Amino acid sequence: MNVMTELTTLTTLKCKQQAIRAVRFNIDGTYCLTCGADKKIKLWNPHRELLLKTYGGHANEVLDAAGSCDSSYIVSGSADKSVILWDVTTGQPIRRYRGQASSITCVRFNEESTMAVSGSIDNTVAFWDVVSRRQEPVQLLKDAKDTITSIQVTDHEVMTTSVDCHVRLYDIRVGKMISDYIGDVITYGSMTHDGQCYILSCSDGTIKLFDKDSGELLNTFKGHESSDYLLENAVNEKDSHIISGSATGEVFYWDLISSSCTQKLVHTTNKPTISLSHHPTENYLLTACEDEIKLWGVRREEN
Amino acid sequence: MNDSDSDDDNVIRYGTPLEPFEEDELPSKRKFQQPSDQYAVDSHGRRRFHGAFTGGFSAGFGNTVGTQEGWTPASFKSSRSEKAQLSSQKAEDFMDDEDRSEFGIAPRHMQTQHEFSGQKRKLQQRYHDGPIPGEPVLERLLKAVHETAAVRMLRAMGWRPGQGTGDRVTRAEKLRAKQQHKVYGCYMPQEMKPTQDPASDNDSSDSDFDYETLFAPDDYEPYILSHKSDKFGLGYSGLSRHSVLGTLMGEYGSDASSSRSHLVMKEKGKKVSIRGHAFGVGAFEADDEDIYAAEDMSHYDFTLGAATEDKQKKKVKEMGVNVLEGYVRASKPLPQVPFYPPPALPKDYKPAAAGSRRSRFEPSDQPQRDQGLGRHELTAEARGSLLGETPVPKVPDTTTQPNMPPTEDPIAKLLGRNVNFVSNSDDKTELDYIPIKDSEKPISKVFRPFMNNPKKQKRYELYLKDRDSYMKEGDAEMDRLSEWERNREIVEFEQAAKLYKPLTGVMSDRFTHASEPDEALNPLCAVAKSSTNYGLATPEQIDAAKRGLFGVMTRREVPWRPESLVCKRFNIPEPGGARPEATKEDKPKVSYSIFSYLESSVHDKDSFAKEQSKFSGSKSLNTPNTSKEQDKSIILTASTVNEYNKKDNKTASEIKESHTGFTKRLTVAELFLKESEKDLKDKEQGIEVTETIDKFDKMDLYKAIFLSDSEDEVTSNTEENRDSTNTNEFIDVPKNVQRNTSPPRGIFANIDFDELNSWKRNTDNKQTNEKEAASSANVTDNANVASKDVNIDNIQVIEETYGPKIPDNIRKKLEGDNKSEDSNLKPVFRSQSERDKEILEIDSSSSSDSWVEVKSKKEKKKKSKKHKSKHKKSKHKKKSRS
Repeated sequence: MNVMTELTTLTTLKCKQQAIRAVRFNIDGTYCLTCGADKKIKLWNPHRELLLKTYGGHANEVLDAAGSCDSSYIVSGSADKSVILWDVTTGQPIRRYRGQASSITCVRFNEESTMAVSGSIDNTVAFWDVVSRRQEPVQLLKDAKDTITSIQVTDHEVMTTSVDCHVRLYDIRVGKMISDYIGDVITYGSMTHDGQCYILSCSDGTIKLFDKDSGELLNTFKGHESSDYLLENAVNEKDSHIISGSATGEVFYWDLISSSCTQKLVHTTNKPTISLSHHPTENYLLTACEDEIKLWGVRREEN
Repeated sequence: MNDSDSDDDNVIRYGTPLEPFEEDELPSKRKFQQPSDQYAVDSHGRRRFHGAFTGGFSAGFGNTVGTQEGWTPASFKSSRSEKAQLSSQKAEDFMDDEDRSEFGIAPRHMQTQHEFSGQKRKLQQRYHDGPIPGEPVLERLLKAVHETAAVRMLRAMGWRPGQGTGDRVTRAEKLRAKQQHKVYGCYMPQEMKPTQDPASDNDSSDSDFDYETLFAPDDYEPYILSHKSDKFGLGYSGLSRHSVLGTLMGEYGSDASSSRSHLVMKEKGKKVSIRGHAFGVGAFEADDEDIYAAEDMSHYDFTLGAATEDKQKKKVKEMGVNVLEGYVRASKPLPQVPFYPPPALPKDYKPAAAGSRRSRFEPSDQPQRDQGLGRHELTAEARGSLLGETPVPKVPDTTTQPNMPPTEDPIAKLLGRNVNFVSNSDDKTELDYIPIKDSEKPISKVFRPFMNNPKKQKRYELYLKDRDSYMKEGDAEMDRLSEWERNREIVEFEQAAKLYKPLTGVMSDRFTHASEPDEALNPLCAVAKSSTNYGLATPEQIDAAKRGLFGVMTRREVPWRPESLVCKRFNIPEPGGARPEATKEDKPKVSYSIFSYLESSVHDKDSFAKEQSKFSGSKSLNTPNTSKEQDKSIILTASTVNEYNKKDNKTASEIKESHTGFTKRLTVAELFLKESEKDLKDKEQGIEVTETIDKFDKMDLYKAIFLSDSEDEVTSNTEENRDSTNTNEFIDVPKNVQRNTSPPRGIFANIDFDELNSWKRNTDNKQTNEKEAASSANVTDNANVASKDVNIDNIQVIEETYGPKIPDNIRKKLEGDNKSEDSNLKPVFRSQSERDKEILEIDSSSSSDSWVEVKSKKEKKKKSKKHKSKHKKSKHKKKSRS
């Protein structure tokens, strides 16, 4: 494809965090966060291969993290059932929320980073008011009947995916919850940048593209191997390609329209590449495999 | 002189006459004492005590030195004949005799000299400088026992220990002495003494001691110590009945003369006894009788004669036989050493050699006994019978009918189908539970809360089966219950359904179906993925998903209410407007206990309702439909209201604020709103919308906005209002709630309100007759009322800045009018258009209108009122303003 220029490994970071549970770009894509099985979060500049800060304070594996819109806070969820709000510069936890009964699997900020949303194995999604000192969740969503696997927050919606095969969209503006039965365990859900489609990684080894408004299946992407991994997916900055890791250690690029696999990046052969994060505006991709993250991008001519 | 004198002369008196005794007077306990008797004197007749001014205790002249001079300093005199002698003064020189006496400060008493006291005089310890310095250790350990001087002397005189003292006596004498035994203390009763047979005694001894030998006399009998059988300290005698101060009544020697206190102590051989009561008896007071003495029934002899004594004597005599010489038979038997039988061996005990140890892991041939009390071996029935419960008759189970399709089972629906608890099929035998079927398997049991009332239980089950139809129709049995009872029962059922919703139901949102049974033996075996989750998806959905028909089939929409704070943080206006209750539940309890998670699903009403709706059937999605309907209705109402809004901006904004947003909770208000709208349509008068609305739910808001500044003030006009409402018997706006019922004061004092009211009554009555619908009448009445309050409107025009500005000349005039009236009148909200009209009319009306004129105009007004309320308003205004 002419649109897709070949991506190559730009940098490789050895995180020394036992296993990377999640890798996340920050809001503008200059930094990234890695959540490790060593209970720590590390802040990197992947472009320069710089370790900036380590955030320690969780009592168990950190499963997800997100940076705030002004990159001054980090919110992280851990298997120790707590959500921690970190101050980026000091590295100190500002607040610790213990309102959910089980491991926190996913956590997100809202658009203005005034609220953190966390999903847990206890089937609940909790809204945490980051601005005030309130310790209890502002709201608990108990609709899911199984583990929440991922959350996406837009300006007026909260999308949650769950092991109970449902994707739920909470529309705050309308006051409505739309749940779609997908028929398979959803390991990760993301939304296209235009906010019109869900991209749902299912445990049957497919990625399904759904229309948000009608709930209709638009496309299915196959080829990767999901095994039992909670594979994540992403969409590139132009909404033209769907990206997903695989249990085989490859990273797949599919064309969104034709659902044909356009590119395969090999992170580490036969080691599952679970977590990945796409740069919000540019053609960069972060993938995590074991304790190693790789930044993929188009190598410039002068380099 | 007279007779009396003569009488006196005839009588010879001896002694001093007694004081005349008056009957009223209480005889004083204290006898009159002569002044001379009031001084204590010592043995010499000298006064013992002195007042503080005369020297105090035993001091001063007369009893100090014994001389008239008293203390005079001795002058040193030394002459040739009488050489001055060195005299050493002792403390005794300065003491009285009394001081040395028994009660004095230095009582003298006899004491053995130290050297005879048995204590060896301490030699000057001189430790030689040996290898070990200091006092020799041995010397400290061993201390010689020293005999008293008397013992030493006795020894020197030939006394040996064990002998008595005194002259040596012959045997015969000794015997004789024994006969007339000298006893220290008190004699033993004759009977107690062992009956010695002197003859036998002699027989044995005579043979040995024929010759004349002198013997030392017998030592006196040592005091026989009593056997100590208790565990108290030495000398402890338990709680005695003796009071410390008093003696027992009837005790030995408790006669008045020799009343002995127990506070008797022996001090160095001398008896010091304290008599009397500690501080109660003064020097001149006769001893009271022992007020502390306690009587005890044991001191009384309840028998006549000396029969018991005889018996005792006989007994003692018998006991006295067979006692070794030198021993006395114990009067009391020795306390029995308690006998403890050896522990009983367990039945199944087998004596085994000590060496052969049995491992506890060896299989035992004995059947394993259950731990605990064996309760678990009993069945529920057996336990019930043990407790004396009457077995409950079996209720024909409506829910266990085999032909009933499983999906229609109410409880299963209620609980949800995603329950992971598998029960055995033989649970059917148990009485207390309703087996629940879920997909051909009885999965759970529901507790039957109304066990003791089978009928009620039946009804409860019916209720569970189909709530709505039950509520509407009831069943045959229900007819026997009164309406009230029924309602109560339904409430009860509701509660019970919530309460006895088994754990499975409570946890339904926490668990899903196990796709495979757990392998009990191997916990590590991998559990297969549950790719098909039937937890929530209906079969239709699953089917659709399988066929890839995503979309309408797989989609469900549920109204969801984001918290206000969430909306705030997301910068989104709350859907459905602000919740009034939001502030109340601002601070929910925080608890991290597992129970909060368990209960949350049941105990908050919303989730419960949600749960119900969720399981109320897969065929029809009730809740979305209804919500849509509600939506529509709301839109409808909103639109109709909007029509009126055009006419009345202020009203519109008001309504919008309260009603445009959709909330479920406002349904009642909406219903009212709709009704009111109907009325309004009939009349085609959009102006009064607000007045109907404010009636229903937004009272507080209304008040807050429009009535805030003059709420506690009372005006003539509110009184008018009140009266009108009273006569009409309408439920009116709450303007009159805080009405002041006190008579008019100040500027109102001279206004004849009665007249005004009577006029109003007339008009109102007429009005009611004319209007058919009460509500419409009410509306108009309100408007009517409002229209009467011209002055109020005027104020409103001035104070509230809605609408166009009033021309200055009019305002001035109005202000002038208001000054005469009360400036704090309660403003009544009215539409702007109305007000504008009024203003125009005010303009046209002349200010010279008087009260009299109004009366004359009354008739006219009434007529006009029939047709148009607006028209009449203006006229009323004129009247009241002028």
